[in-house]
Order: sequence, then structure tokens, then C-alpha cells
Amino acid sequence: MSDQAENVVVPSPDKAREARAIAIGVAGWVVPGLGHALQKMWGRALTFFVVVGVLVIVGAGMRGNLFGSEGGDAFAALGYFADLGTGSFYWLAKYIEVGGPDVSHAYGDYGTRFLAAAGVLNLLAALHAYEAARGRKA
Amino acid sequence: MLLFALLISIAFGFLSRRRPMERVKYIAWSLLLFLLFGIGIGWAMYPFSR
Repeated sequence: MSDQAENVVVPSPDKAREARAIAIGVAGWVVPGLGHALQKMWGRALTFFVVVGVLVIVGAGMRGNLFGSEGGDAFAALGYFADLGTGSFYWLAKYIEVGGPDVSHAYGDYGTRFLAAAGVLNLLAALHAYEAARGRKA
Repeated sequence: MLLFALLISIAFGFLSRRRPMERVKYIAWSLLLFLLFGIGIGWAMYPFSR
């Protein structure tokens, strides 16, 4: 063997698996359910896609508050973090909510909770997909 | 509240259980507890509503 062949760095199986798990986690965050779909967990993938999608559509339809990055206080920052948890569905909610939020009625307040719950649930699902890809749970 | 409880129960059931029968039981139980606690907390707050 030549010296050149010995110098080639081959990633260890653990590092490759970790990188794949991170990619799956990020994919699951960006598109709800995709992290599980990439691991052929079809039931969970479909469930998270539908549940997060319905929560976002209903929440935005109720004109819930979709927090932006220009919040100002800690609650707005937490709300933005939760809403951002829906990944690409954040922009879907923005698209649906053309009239902007209206929390002067109870419906708008409920919608805000629906949107936040969708984001936190999707983060939980993405974390589950990441852990499953690492082989910790399934 | 019913829609919210149902959706969250389904998601939790699929997240934490693998076998279909266990999932159904988990979903039914968590849905029931969501509703009981929601109605219970609603009644508990009733004396302070006015």
C-alpha cells in the first residue's frame, strides 16, 4: 500500500451515524414527519405530518398570534421559538393568516395555543426521530 | 378543546407506543384525562369567575 492510501481519513461508523441522525433530526424539524419517513416509520411520519398540519391550519384559521423575531420580551421570544418549531409550516401559517392575528377574541387566543403546541410537538417528534436514528429508541 | 386533546393524544400515542393496541389504549386514556382535567379545572375556576 502507498502512503497516500494510508492518509485517507475514513469517518468512523459512530461519527457517520451521528451525522446521519442529526440530518434526520433537522429534516424532521423542517418538514414534520420527514425524519420518521426517512427511517421508514410510515405510521409516525404520517401522524406527525397530519397532526402538526391540522394544528397549524386550525391555529392560523383562528387568527392566532404567530410570533415574529422582533418580539421584544421573553414571552415573545419563547413564542417565536415555539412557532418556529413547526419548521416549514411556519410560512404556511403566515400564508393562511393574511389578515394578521386577532387576539381580541377568545378564538384568536386559542389559535395562539394551537400554533405553539404544533411547534413544540414537532420539535418533540424531530428529537424522537434523531434518537431513533441513533438507535436509542424506536 | 376536544380537537386539541384528540390531536395531542394521537401524537403522544404514536410517539410513546409501538404496538397498535397499546397506542389505542394510550390515546383513549390520555384523551379521557385531558378532558377530565380540562372540565375539572374549568369547574374549579368557576367560583372566581365573577
